[in-house]
Amino acid sequence: MSDSSSDSGSRRDVSDSSGGDELDVTDLDITEEEPPGEEETWHRRGGPGTANPNMAGGEAFRLRDQRRPAVQLSEELAALRDHIVAAFGDLEVEAFRGELTLIAEPDRVHDLVAFCRDDPDVRCELLSDLSCVHWPGMERVEKAVETTGWPTYEVQDEGRIEIDYMLTSITHNHRFRVRTSVGDEGGTIRSVVDLYRSANFMEREAYDMFGVVFEGHPNLERILMPEEWVGHPQRKDYPLGGVEVQYKGAVIPPPDQRSY
Amino acid sequence: MSEAGGNVEHGLSGESSPDVAPREYTVASGDWQELPDVVEGGEMVINMGPQHPSTHGVLRMVLTLDGEMVLSNEPVIGYLHTGIEKNTEVRPWVQGVTFVTRMDYLSPLFNELAYCMAVEKLLGVTDEVPERAQTLRVILTELNRVSSHMVWIATGGMELGSTTAMIFGFRERETILDIFEFVSGLRMNHAFIRPGGLAADVPHDFELRVRQVIAELRDRVGEIETLLSENPIWVERNKGVGIMDAETCLSYGVTGPVLRSTGVAHDLRKAQPYCGIEQFDFDVPVTDTADAYGRYLIRIQEVYESLKIVEQALDALPGGPVMIEDQKIAWPAQLALGPDGIGNAKEYISRIMGQSMEALIHHFKIVTEGFTVPPGQVYVPVESPRGELGYHVTSNGSNKPYRVHVRDPSFIHIGALPPLSRGLQVADIIVAVASVDPVMGGVDR
Repeated sequence: MSDSSSDSGSRRDVSDSSGGDELDVTDLDITEEEPPGEEETWHRRGGPGTANPNMAGGEAFRLRDQRRPAVQLSEELAALRDHIVAAFGDLEVEAFRGELTLIAEPDRVHDLVAFCRDDPDVRCELLSDLSCVHWPGMERVEKAVETTGWPTYEVQDEGRIEIDYMLTSITHNHRFRVRTSVGDEGGTIRSVVDLYRSANFMEREAYDMFGVVFEGHPNLERILMPEEWVGHPQRKDYPLGGVEVQYKGAVIPPPDQRSY
Repeated sequence: MSEAGGNVEHGLSGESSPDVAPREYTVASGDWQELPDVVEGGEMVINMGPQHPSTHGVLRMVLTLDGEMVLSNEPVIGYLHTGIEKNTEVRPWVQGVTFVTRMDYLSPLFNELAYCMAVEKLLGVTDEVPERAQTLRVILTELNRVSSHMVWIATGGMELGSTTAMIFGFRERETILDIFEFVSGLRMNHAFIRPGGLAADVPHDFELRVRQVIAELRDRVGEIETLLSENPIWVERNKGVGIMDAETCLSYGVTGPVLRSTGVAHDLRKAQPYCGIEQFDFDVPVTDTADAYGRYLIRIQEVYESLKIVEQALDALPGGPVMIEDQKIAWPAQLALGPDGIGNAKEYISRIMGQSMEALIHHFKIVTEGFTVPPGQVYVPVESPRGELGYHVTSNGSNKPYRVHVRDPSFIHIGALPPLSRGLQVADIIVAVASVDPVMGGVDR
């Protein structure tokens, strides 16, 4: 009896003492102070005053990335990077979201890929993927740094086509990318069909879609488009096409001309 | 028609009368005329496809034959090219799901999964996708693997003349498509997996129905095994046909069941696990026969393994949300069953329409404009029923993908047809192509 009454009494004391005006104020202070650093989201910051509507997005990444630490390269990939760079000399290296990219000049790519295939510590049995990205002239996103929010643009006279070779090793269970760039008008690069037979179809696709010429390819023809086709559809200067449509009186422009 | 006129029309005397254009009979690409009917030594060039019931889709193969024996096989593709990769570049990130699900139409959920994982990786939110969504992704994709293998049994059987296998395969596949319809409303092309999670939670008796289907499928796949595994015709047609060794497979980039039939136990679910699939216990079936029969055995075993994964995943299915918490990424729909079917929940509509102006603006912005994604490039592979399905996605920081490139296993495997079919009989070409299981929607994209 006495124990329980004293317990309840003490509890009451605590609640009484915390029930006052002062403590309410401190509670409010805490709730107001703590979240803004973490919980504030970009729509609150990027108000109606922002000139570029996308700037709000850039702010978002800065805030998001403060909360989300950058993914580091795994130890194996870091060791692999050091190994290849040591053996091959000055290679530009990029790491993004835990993926390793080795950047080489076009005339060194064949040797680099051959090295990655044959070196016992790298031993990439598979050329998983070969794909291109077209960066037209005068506008190119400079390196994507994980911690910055908005990309910096570098004005550039010539357009470029980036070629990415995705190499995979089953033995060592790693994969990384070899990247190079050629000019987007008549860019040529040495074919890697003699190293990987899978490059046959991939390079034909890259030629068909981007117009990159792979020297030494046994049969460099269009693969997805008809042979007499003019132009290379995946380039950014090739329009998507399409017509505007009407819906309940409103006119909706074709998808590549929409403002959103 | 006069003889001279005929000659001119066929371009035989084209030089003497240049104003008369030679008449052309083209099969889409214009190369038809240039193919000689007979080359040296009595070899013959035969055009197989693209409209042929046994070429596993709209695939054309230009075969050089010596009698019945295939000397070379030149696959010609592109008949289903739809420009999906280009189309994704002009639409917000979320709408990309609707496109990529239509590529490899037998494994739509794998396409959605790989694309969404790529978007999440670019956003850096892979760890924030709720566990329930991840486990449901595993369940749905593994069921999709079963349904895809069932279609393989069906079409592969049909191409060999076994209509019973076809009926069995499509019947079993239908049970899984019923589940997909029950969950997403669509049998195919679901667009159910979204960046950040799933479009909606599964219905409350999902688990019960899936368990029923698993039990049913175990029996019925057993039936297929009884029908085919020891069937003398099936064994005769498949054993020792379409042999491709491990070295050739790797050089040609071949993965999936075809690579595993050569004894290389390479499965991305084990090598680079995704969506927490590593917590489930399953085996990677391997044979060393490297032929069509070995691939059949592997696919049948994979069905059992997938069902095992689904059962374990159902046991381990956690509760909670199925969409990422970050409101700047999450699709704002909060679905509920209304009088006319699934739609936005009444409470949600009343909140954005009646109570919160900011919520309405947010809803409008994220539905029309979508979210922006940090600039960068990622490559995300998953183990699709056919092999490594990889998405190489590039962002330039805007609300649309800058470039989406799909490494579709079928495309790569079609490139490996020449070594696969060299020295085969014409009738065995059909078996060999079927054993690779190319899906032309994924090949041409």
